[in-house]
Amino acid sequence: MKRRNFLKNLCAVSALATVATPSIVMGKDEPKQKPKGVNAMSYDAALNAITGGKPVADSPKVSLTVPEIAENGAVVPVKVNVDHPMEENNYVKAIHILTTKNGNARAADVMLTPMNGKGYFATRIKLGSTQDVVAVVELSDGTFIKASKPVKVTIGGCG
Amino acid sequence: MPAEARKSMIKIKPKKYKTGDIVKVDFIVIHPMDTGLKKDKKTGEVIPAKYIDSITFKLDGKPFTTMKVWETVSTNPYFSVNLKVPGKGKITVEYTDNTGEKNSKSKKLKPKD
Repeated sequence: MKRRNFLKNLCAVSALATVATPSIVMGKDEPKQKPKGVNAMSYDAALNAITGGKPVADSPKVSLTVPEIAENGAVVPVKVNVDHPMEENNYVKAIHILTTKNGNARAADVMLTPMNGKGYFATRIKLGSTQDVVAVVELSDGTFIKASKPVKVTIGGCG
Repeated sequence: MPAEARKSMIKIKPKKYKTGDIVKVDFIVIHPMDTGLKKDKKTGEVIPAKYIDSITFKLDGKPFTTMKVWETVSTNPYFSVNLKVPGKGKITVEYTDNTGEKNSKSKKLKPKD
């Protein structure tokens, strides 16, 4: 019985995901009314707060590792590697982890220094629903690059 | 409960490293990271938000990584960063949560040359 329910849910979620993905690209879907947390902030607002309106380009230098399907949205491992030197005047200044549909889009802002030796950060985050995880990287010269990957969530983790 | 809230751990990977190596510094802490959205199943009352909001990684008192964190991070969070080992020293991780609780954890950095 459990297995049957699980399979049903899985089907429902994957069907939802296929419907939802094009609408993300189109940017037309309205966010659902859910109770808002203390730090509620939309993805666009959070991105704007970080970059200050500067353009953010997708870059192959940022490699973001997330699971394709997260069975439990409460624990989703996220790993970011930035292929960029860490020298005194040319280094990865910050790594920001954002989500596109969580009540609070921000997860972590990590300020790095040349002492780190490498632009790397890993953590575990909660995802309320199927959405994209975005890593925005700020370089010491003030430019922003990013990488994003979708994660399918079977059970939401924001309670 | 307060005793449990103070549990944290620093791990350096790999275990054997030399001066100049880039190692992973993993910081794991037992913390509820409540979002303020969840309800207590017994009483039906909303559990107030309690999450770590800032973390500072220091080496001999000099910060090398500072983080701002929100409730989006999972319960019992894990944070991993790199560090280029400059020699012997002491790593200290200080963290504060939104209720003002402050804690820290230290570990010695012992490169084997």
